[in-house]
Amino acid sequence: MREFMNYITNAFYGATGWNEDNKYNELNATSRELIDFPLPRGLRLTLSSLATPHFATSYQLGSVGVVDGSISYLHSSVPLTHIAAQSDKIPLPALLRCYRRLHDLRSPGQHYMLDDPLSGLPPPPQSAQALLGAVSDASNADGSLIGGKAGQDPSKFTHSLLYGRLYLPKSLLEGMIIKRFTQALQIQVRAVSEQSLRNGGTILGLVQYDKGKYGLEGLYSTDGGLLGFRGLYNFGGDASSSNCDPWTPAVGENSNHSSNGNGQGIEKERIYGRFSVGGELYYGTLNKSGGMSLGARFATLPAHRGTPLTATLTINPLMGNINATYALLAREYCSLATRVEFNVYSYESEWAVGMELWSNRRPAGFLLGASPSNDPEPEPQPPRKKERSFQAKMEWRLDDPEPEPEPTPKNETEKKKNDEYKGVLKARLDNNLRIGLLWEGRAKSLIFSLGTGIDLHKLGEPFRSLGLEVQYSS
Amino acid sequence: MAFNFNWSPLTADAGFYERARDLLTTALNKSPKPPIIVDDIFVTEFNLGSVPPDLEILEIGDLAEDRFRGIFKMCYSGDAFLTLATRVQANPLNTYISAKPSFTSPEPLTASSSLTIPLQITLSEIKLSAFIILVFSKQKGLTIVFRNDPLESLKVSSTFDSIQFVRDYLQKTIESKLRDLIMDELPAIIHRLSLQLWCPDQVPKEGEEAKEESDAAINPLATPPLDAVDAHGHRLDPVEISSLSLDGGPETQSLFSQKNLEKMDALANAHRTSSLITPNILEVVFRAWAGQSDKADATATPSASTPNLHRTSSYQGSAHTYTFSDNSSQASGHAPSRPTLVSMGSATTGLSLGSGRHSKAGRKKKMRVVNLRSNKTAASEPVSEVGSTSSQAGDSGSEAASTRTPMSEPVIPTTIREAPEDDLVASQTKVRFRPAADATPSPRASESSGSRAVPSVPVTAQPSRVASPQEHVYTRQPSMFPSSPVQQTSAQEMPPSYSSRASEKAEAAAPIYADAKAQQQQFQQQQQQQQQQQWGRAGPQPDMSSVILEQAWITKIAGEIARRVYDEKNRNPSFWEESHQHDIPPPAYEPR
Repeated sequence: MREFMNYITNAFYGATGWNEDNKYNELNATSRELIDFPLPRGLRLTLSSLATPHFATSYQLGSVGVVDGSISYLHSSVPLTHIAAQSDKIPLPALLRCYRRLHDLRSPGQHYMLDDPLSGLPPPPQSAQALLGAVSDASNADGSLIGGKAGQDPSKFTHSLLYGRLYLPKSLLEGMIIKRFTQALQIQVRAVSEQSLRNGGTILGLVQYDKGKYGLEGLYSTDGGLLGFRGLYNFGGDASSSNCDPWTPAVGENSNHSSNGNGQGIEKERIYGRFSVGGELYYGTLNKSGGMSLGARFATLPAHRGTPLTATLTINPLMGNINATYALLAREYCSLATRVEFNVYSYESEWAVGMELWSNRRPAGFLLGASPSNDPEPEPQPPRKKERSFQAKMEWRLDDPEPEPEPTPKNETEKKKNDEYKGVLKARLDNNLRIGLLWEGRAKSLIFSLGTGIDLHKLGEPFRSLGLEVQYSS
Repeated sequence: MAFNFNWSPLTADAGFYERARDLLTTALNKSPKPPIIVDDIFVTEFNLGSVPPDLEILEIGDLAEDRFRGIFKMCYSGDAFLTLATRVQANPLNTYISAKPSFTSPEPLTASSSLTIPLQITLSEIKLSAFIILVFSKQKGLTIVFRNDPLESLKVSSTFDSIQFVRDYLQKTIESKLRDLIMDELPAIIHRLSLQLWCPDQVPKEGEEAKEESDAAINPLATPPLDAVDAHGHRLDPVEISSLSLDGGPETQSLFSQKNLEKMDALANAHRTSSLITPNILEVVFRAWAGQSDKADATATPSASTPNLHRTSSYQGSAHTYTFSDNSSQASGHAPSRPTLVSMGSATTGLSLGSGRHSKAGRKKKMRVVNLRSNKTAASEPVSEVGSTSSQAGDSGSEAASTRTPMSEPVIPTTIREAPEDDLVASQTKVRFRPAADATPSPRASESSGSRAVPSVPVTAQPSRVASPQEHVYTRQPSMFPSSPVQQTSAQEMPPSYSSRASEKAEAAAPIYADAKAQQQQFQQQQQQQQQQQWGRAGPQPDMSSVILEQAWITKIAGEIARRVYDEKNRNPSFWEESHQHDIPPPAYEPR
């Protein structure tokens, strides 16, 4: 489960139209979410609130042996009205990080409020279709329109976000500033202050430049004077066609896109995706050490009709490390991922598999085996309707004819209720025979996350960790 | 008198290396490792070599079949070696990332992927030069404290010897690590090993060791001391002596009630749970309550002897270490003003094995005779020396007292009467000490009532060779040291303010028993005054004198050592450069 502030930060990206996935260190984000999901430890309670559209707070209380907690505040200069912050309405796939499909490669301004599930003005369709990433034509056109308008107003992008968090017993202070300068340029400064750290804390500065077709990032950390540079370049698929030029007029793109939708029907039967290549380079100016890696990714686009998949290959030539991942959305409710690592110098190898299984049943359904039809909510309505009210009986008359509820919204909501995911089971297994299990879902208006780590090598006491996180937000 | 040291641990005990390896491995993996070390450190090879160290006895403070207390100077440049194996992280970015807070991590994709390399390090050509304080008691095993930083030099060779930078780094790091190991861990290891050997009831042990023990046990009562007297100077019947039983072992254990041990365990584990209940442990002195010198008092052996010859011992303190302040010796060459008295759990059971078992103690020796020093502080007559030097001090101190304080109380000096025959002095006569905690009446009450009103006993140890009738004579007295519950409880109820007073006391006592010099007379007079006030408050107790004796002995030893160190330093200043940074008292070693 992502933290609430993380979710809000992503909502800020969505609201300002920043594509956070178009950078090199998100290259294998999909398989990372599926395999390296964090397991909760101990008991953790989070109370969060988006008090105003500009301001969010979050309080956390945890107990892993000792009681600790944190207080965090966030301020965004752009109103975050379009997102659902209440924990009974937050779309779970957005919060729980399911298989991530690619964003359309437009310029950052142009996919403003387009297909981000967090950012659509109507509440995001929390359906399997949305999970798949198929974008309806209507929203497509909508988004393009908005994007077109937004592109002409550069001042719209000079937004900023301030975030601070204080961990209490440790007196650790975190701070972050995100400042958007132009459509393509954004600067992040993160700082941590703690007594035990050298010099009392560290500051990390990031300059991010996203041109759609390529994204560049430069960073500097005061700790060791680390300088870093990362870049990602996209080609193939939609990136290769001319329409990906970010600054083409919106109208042209719109027509192009619609023609894509019609004319590329045959092409979509074949595998249809986008290639990305990139690299990173680090150099510590104080400790005179460095590191680098190169990577490539192929991922199918949302327009692809077949099974969505993502494959990455990264190489660290200095350390001789080869890392390959493969993730796919086998069913609309089931994602799988594998990862293999091999080191050509030390011959060490690792593998790990991960799985994600969504359910639209009630959370207890996993345990009790209850089917969705057992949901009690629709039942109480009909019998009540047949009885005359007590007042009507006293007045010797019939009840007033009730206005018939409109059939279409009811159908829609019921359908939506059925389609809405209510829980997810994540599992992973690695070559040390360690199993991680995570069950996340929504119970009433609480979002919970229950996880455990199991070590099959030590069957005597297999549970290495156990944790429960409960989050409530309003 | 001669000592035999055997440097042949291999033949003595086949499983020695195995056990030593295990202990070293656990010791090395105990402390949190730097992130560059990704695996446990294993001791793959360990050999003590065939060249024995040079041992020089500087001081012997206590000597009997079951206990030994002495100070050695050890020089070693032999062929011992040690090989360690572990795995290190070769990617600097990986260690960089792992040690940093995740919030400001640059989050590299795979640039920080790990590459672990097996590493083998061999330590050889170890050169040591150390002053060792060695305390052995049958009950509490062998305790070794290094007076200075013993490591002179060593050679580190590793897998990466071809890379100059790595080699230098390893050499530097390992030297500093090894210093810590020798100063902190090695005494603990030796203590544990000795406990396994001699105190099988304190550690879970194998059956064969028990057999060994019973075989080797020598009845010290077979040769009773010539002048067996009890604590009050009454001569003991030989019949009485023979009625002393050897098998008081289980009884000693009864001092730690099982219930208390369980409660201690619960207390130690309390921080892991959120339990709010603190188990109430009876008859203990909590470390947090006791100050530095308080601790010493509380942990010192209660040796109040009672005629019923009940044999028990105190386990109050598990730490028996001396720590001497180095600074004072620097400051004034001789006459160190304030030895940090940590504890002196003197050996309490008088009856036990012969000294032949000393060879197992971890000092590995070959058959060789160590020349004792022949200067004035020769170890051959420690007791008489204690007597003579401290009597000087005492004389001067009491002189000062009588001149400066007109209302000086009757002096009842407590002395050590030596054995009639001088040649028995070292081997059979022994100074009995008693802890200061004996003399802890409620200080507050006596303070309020006026300290001078209480007739005080100036407890300047004034040993003389002539035994006067009112002297308390302490001679070798096997197995007459029951734990006095009174003392324990008094120590328990000690108010916190006591600690400061006790330290004052120690301070006050220090210069008196050091080799007092005439130019320090003034200072001593003040101290003497202070001391008299102290004791006036404390009130008279016949038992307290031995405490003073004990402190006196320690102070004297401290003074001696300090003087030697000073001399040594003058002779060879470069070697002593670094040794003054290790003044922290070594940790207490609990028997496991």
